Amino acid sequence: MTTPVATHADASMARFESETTRYGSLTMIAGLVFSLLGPIYLVFFSGLEITGPMVWIAFVAVAATFGVFWFVEPLTYFPILGSAAMYQAFMIGNISNKLLPAAIVAQSSINARPGTRRGDLAAVMAIGGAATVHLTSLLVFVGLLGTWLVSMVPASMIEVARLYILPALMGAVLVQAIVSMKRLRPTVIAVALALLFQFVIVPAAPKTALFATALVVVLSIILSWVLRDRKEVHVATEVD
Amino acid sequence: MPHIRPLMANPTSTDIWAVANTPILWICALGVFAVIFVQTFLYIKAARRAAPHIGMPTRELKESFRAGAVASIGPSLAVVLVAIALLALFGTPAVLVRIGLIGSASTETASASLAAISMGTVLGGPEYTQQVFAVAFMAMSLSGGMWMLSTLVLTPVLKRGGKKLAKANPAVMALIPAAALLGAFSMLAIAELPKSNVHAVTLMISAATMCLCLFLAKLLNARWLKEWALGFAIMVAIAAAYLMHTA
Repeated sequence: MTTPVATHADASMARFESETTRYGSLTMIAGLVFSLLGPIYLVFFSGLEITGPMVWIAFVAVAATFGVFWFVEPLTYFPILGSAAMYQAFMIGNISNKLLPAAIVAQSSINARPGTRRGDLAAVMAIGGAATVHLTSLLVFVGLLGTWLVSMVPASMIEVARLYILPALMGAVLVQAIVSMKRLRPTVIAVALALLFQFVIVPAAPKTALFATALVVVLSIILSWVLRDRKEVHVATEVD
Repeated sequence: MPHIRPLMANPTSTDIWAVANTPILWICALGVFAVIFVQTFLYIKAARRAAPHIGMPTRELKESFRAGAVASIGPSLAVVLVAIALLALFGTPAVLVRIGLIGSASTETASASLAAISMGTVLGGPEYTQQVFAVAFMAMSLSGGMWMLSTLVLTPVLKRGGKKLAKANPAVMALIPAAALLGAFSMLAIAELPKSNVHAVTLMISAATMCLCLFLAKLLNARWLKEWALGFAIMVAIAAAYLMHTA
């Protein structure tokens, strides 16, 4: 990594990272402000006679259930997304059911591995593409036509979509992830861990359900490293 | 067209849309959309500047953008369907920001439900008043805000940690993203298995459709099929779920 080309590439990736960190955090703060302004207006300025305790108690009720995820989710997705895409993902939302699949498809379509430079840029572009499609379809189908569509789409169709969208999506995404990663041992380890958690550990200790995904991610990383094929030439040298 | 009415707030009224679809909420929702468009634009500009220096042709950037866009059509339409179903509870601006963006349908509906229960009522129940809606909306938004806040705080910390690790052990850094991704999706997929027989079969059909698409894509050397595969798999699996569910 001492050739001039590599140094040059390092420097421009470093610039890319500092630019995306600056743009990313500024836009995220702006998004945070806009997302809070609406409810703040309703609560304080619209005469709905809402008291402080009402808001605090409701917030604590939500925090008790989801507070863990505020920290666990960024930790879980950071190794997959990389720092630039973190600021995109946590503002656009629908990370596991839309943004990650989009990133995997894009990376496999140009044969880039996640965590490499090409992989990172491909993920950022893919999330950009996904965001464009997503925002446009939301604005048109929910924003403009939503109240009309609500009377048009049969209730049974909405019900089926709501109930079964996750299995319909996750089966395909798991296959795509396995095929595009092309790593046998981590795949076997990850699937075995997931089966173990879903059918043994969580039923035995239901409280672990909250952390199951995060634990499987962490253990997959650790076991994939410990049980790696030591005869394999260092993969790091073939990246980019 | 959006309903824009003068604000007629009444804490005990159950006419949620009278407060949920007010212009100020619309402006804030559109503000979030605008911010994301600006972010996307700035990020793409930064990626285009960096790509030539790492030996990545502009063609590959364009392909990645297109692949991401195509792959997200299926999931986006699914989110749209669910969002439409929730309009009655939260009104358009709150649905756009909370369910469409930032969060996801399951987390945000659960948050709103918890908030409503903390006020002694349930979502959509006879006592789901404008006041309850406003508190639920506030609680959802604060919780979503905490996600963003912890992303803002944790990302730079994790980035420094990652850099140190990459220096000490580059092979680990090549392995971590793949293992993390496989771990996350194995768990997310397998968690669907025990929910019901229809869930399990839907999951299998989705996986099988993806296998078939990828196999055909390789056989026929059809790259477009690799990009559309996710959309096809979702459509086939949902259609099968519809038949099984209504049968």
